[in-house]
Amino acid sequence: MTMTMKRGRFLLGALSGLTVVANMDHVLARALAGTPLPGLPGASDRVVLLINLQGGNDGLNCVVPHGNPQYYQLRPTLAVPQSDVLAIDANVGFNPQMRALKVMYDKGEVAVVQGVGYPNPDHSHFRSTEIWQTAAPETYEHTGWLGRYLDEAGLPKNNLFNGVAVAQVLPEVLVSNQVDVPSIASLNGYGLLSDRNATAKRTYTELVTDHGFPFQSPYLAHVAEIEDHAQRGSEELPKLVAGYKTDATYPATPLGRSLALAAQIAGSNIGTKVLYVQHGSFDTHVSQKATQDRLLGEFSDAIGAFYDDLAAHGNDTRVLTLTFSEFGRRIAENGSRGTDHGEASPLFMIGGGVKGGLYGQMPDLSDTNMGNVRYSTDFRSVYATVLERWLGRPSQTILAGNFSQLPVLA
Amino acid sequence: MAAGYVRPAGQLDFTTALSPYAGPWNDRLAAHLMRRAGFGATPDEVARYGAMSPHDAAEALIHFPDTSRLAPPPGVMAYPDPRRIAFKGMDDMQKRDAARARRKEAIGDILALQEWWLNRMLTTPAPLQEKMTFFLHGHFTTAAIQKGVWPNLVLAQNQLFRQNALGNLHDLTIAVSKDPAMLLYLDNAENNKSHPNENYSRELMELFTLGLGSYTEEDVRQSARAFTGWTIDRRTGEFTFNPRTHDDGTKTFLSRTGNFDGTDIVDIIYQQRACERFWAKSLLSAFVYNDPEPELVDEFANVISRNHFELAPSMSVLLRSNVFYSQRAYRALVKSPVEFVVGAHKSLDLATIVEGTPQALRAMGQILFYPPNVAGWPGGANWLTSQMLIARENFIARIVNAQTATQSSWLAAVPLDAKRASREFIAAILQNDAPSQAYVQLIAYLDGAGTSALGALSVENYDERARGAAYLTMAMPAYQLG
Repeated sequence: MTMTMKRGRFLLGALSGLTVVANMDHVLARALAGTPLPGLPGASDRVVLLINLQGGNDGLNCVVPHGNPQYYQLRPTLAVPQSDVLAIDANVGFNPQMRALKVMYDKGEVAVVQGVGYPNPDHSHFRSTEIWQTAAPETYEHTGWLGRYLDEAGLPKNNLFNGVAVAQVLPEVLVSNQVDVPSIASLNGYGLLSDRNATAKRTYTELVTDHGFPFQSPYLAHVAEIEDHAQRGSEELPKLVAGYKTDATYPATPLGRSLALAAQIAGSNIGTKVLYVQHGSFDTHVSQKATQDRLLGEFSDAIGAFYDDLAAHGNDTRVLTLTFSEFGRRIAENGSRGTDHGEASPLFMIGGGVKGGLYGQMPDLSDTNMGNVRYSTDFRSVYATVLERWLGRPSQTILAGNFSQLPVLA
Repeated sequence: MAAGYVRPAGQLDFTTALSPYAGPWNDRLAAHLMRRAGFGATPDEVARYGAMSPHDAAEALIHFPDTSRLAPPPGVMAYPDPRRIAFKGMDDMQKRDAARARRKEAIGDILALQEWWLNRMLTTPAPLQEKMTFFLHGHFTTAAIQKGVWPNLVLAQNQLFRQNALGNLHDLTIAVSKDPAMLLYLDNAENNKSHPNENYSRELMELFTLGLGSYTEEDVRQSARAFTGWTIDRRTGEFTFNPRTHDDGTKTFLSRTGNFDGTDIVDIIYQQRACERFWAKSLLSAFVYNDPEPELVDEFANVISRNHFELAPSMSVLLRSNVFYSQRAYRALVKSPVEFVVGAHKSLDLATIVEGTPQALRAMGQILFYPPNVAGWPGGANWLTSQMLIARENFIARIVNAQTATQSSWLAAVPLDAKRASREFIAAILQNDAPSQAYVQLIAYLDGAGTSALGALSVENYDERARGAAYLTMAMPAYQLG
């Protein structure tokens, strides 16, 4: 072992110098060749960050209807006491853990869209998540709504980072027909570590595009392409974002780390239009309070740090954050101090470009669908608003229909 | 770009798809069988199975030898935790510290279990038993530590899957419904008649047995009532039925009415055609190719039905079938990280799992006993993101440096001739599934191109070059495909 290790280290030292020089050349060459980089802030410079609150966030304990006695009747152990609610008005208010978000709300940077859902709600985590990501409640689509945006937005084809999922798995929302979106959970580990990798890269650059394989596989071309993108992307991204410096203090949570990287990518002007992160799990069938309170607090604190960071770099008006969760939860609590899968729930649109306030209808707890909140705003109205008013793209084709827009964006 | 599952192109003859394969048999097909019915094979194992007939090879995997002499699992922390009682009299700070220490110990136990299982996958004489255990772990998911799923319950569930690896799916579903780890993970331990908890009821149907579209929301609620009172004894950590919290009223479930309990629900589920088709699709997707045609699913559902949900005879049909050995199925799956890492050990003929492998699996997106959610790990192209692929390449860069790599019988015997050596590497590791250009590149590498020490392959540089060549061969696209 010792001998091998030593030799490995020696070789790594010997080769990594060469590799770095080669990489720098590559990056410089791309920069000089005029890889289009966005200029001054403006519509072309805008970014959407999508946050998936996965598992089904209980909307009623997130945006609390503290003025409604029915809420307290149906939630004998789980209801947030009226005195704890961070009141927006006499009817609703934020969960007490969401102090940072309330501060932003008071500054007019948070839009709360209530009662968002879709017709014939599905109660499966997986199908409902798919519906939210593909924006297709009635059909099965293999592309996501933001993936379809990436396909038709006319973004530079040679940019590997038009969209970035700050996650390990590529979410369906970023699946497109033409654009490969890298999934990068963290810059640590996003890089080839060994001299052998460098050797392989040199040796196999030609092989990944060679189609002379003596077998067919539905995944072969995909493997070759991702291998190529992973090798180039992991060489380039750390260098492209290295110049971004920040004094922001993010919470030491997974979401805090993800948003720190999202701010770095958004602030490095590398042409990224769409970012994705996820947070959870909100699937609180049992002992909901401790879990959801923690998750909402982490969400709120991380968002606060994220927008401080963005604002310090003049990016807070460039980055719109949109949250979603596959469903809200049952209005009445179950026997294990938790809640089962429900239907409509609120979502947030956050950022300097937002006209803050309450949108949509407050949940009606007496007119329910089998004990679930009925939706009053179609989720595709929110998407249409983001596409048309934020990204400046027509939404009809992407969403397979015309949906009314909300006056949420300045 | 594309994510998810992709079906192979072209047409399949459904009438003969599940008939026994009677075509030519060779090492390449034997290696295919071992990737699917196991975790890959060493060159020696490929040769051994290649010398059998396809029928005998499948039968040897299904009627596997006794595995009781394999290394026993490590001792792990028990539920209920005896130190729970010691919490009494502590202040909040002490309790928090004690809880943290307990959690840390549990995480260490899970790591030990991961190493134990990976070594078992590598060394077992019954690879299909471990492969089915792995399949069932991804199917009937349970994640460790959260919700009180302590290491001994994780181990007990893992042994349940192993005991039923080729057993009866109906019986296994009842056993899973009473399994303490599952009762905690999907909250049925908390399911009581005053306010039923629907979590297990829903996932039992959606993800374990029927699939979406075969039941209604009302069925979910009725089935949840039937499972009330199926809980665990908090003193022993074992399954118990609590008649006081069980709802013994009349339920209507999938158009049947009666005073059902959990066993009745499972019985009714297993009378549904949808259940046969669900298992057929799951097994075809895992062992043959993703997104199988509805007609093929129907054919295999008939096999499962005729065999009354017995896995051994059903898998015997599948692993000997025309479709299994068709061009459509060959290299048509993406290896999961676990298949990838255990297979890499097999390719290099390593006797034990290299230190740090569980941690490397985390970077590739698959942590044993920690599926990301109740649906298990998403497969197909979901395994092929930029960062996960880099993690795979970094792993093989490490494993070829393992001290034991060149002790392997076949690596030590590779000739000191770049041309012949390149053929041996590509044959042993890839069963020749490489384009002609790959041989050219490998010969150039073995003769000194791209290395720090130039010069033709020789006794002096053999060790380093052989490791490098093994790396390069495993870095080829075909090696990602199962």
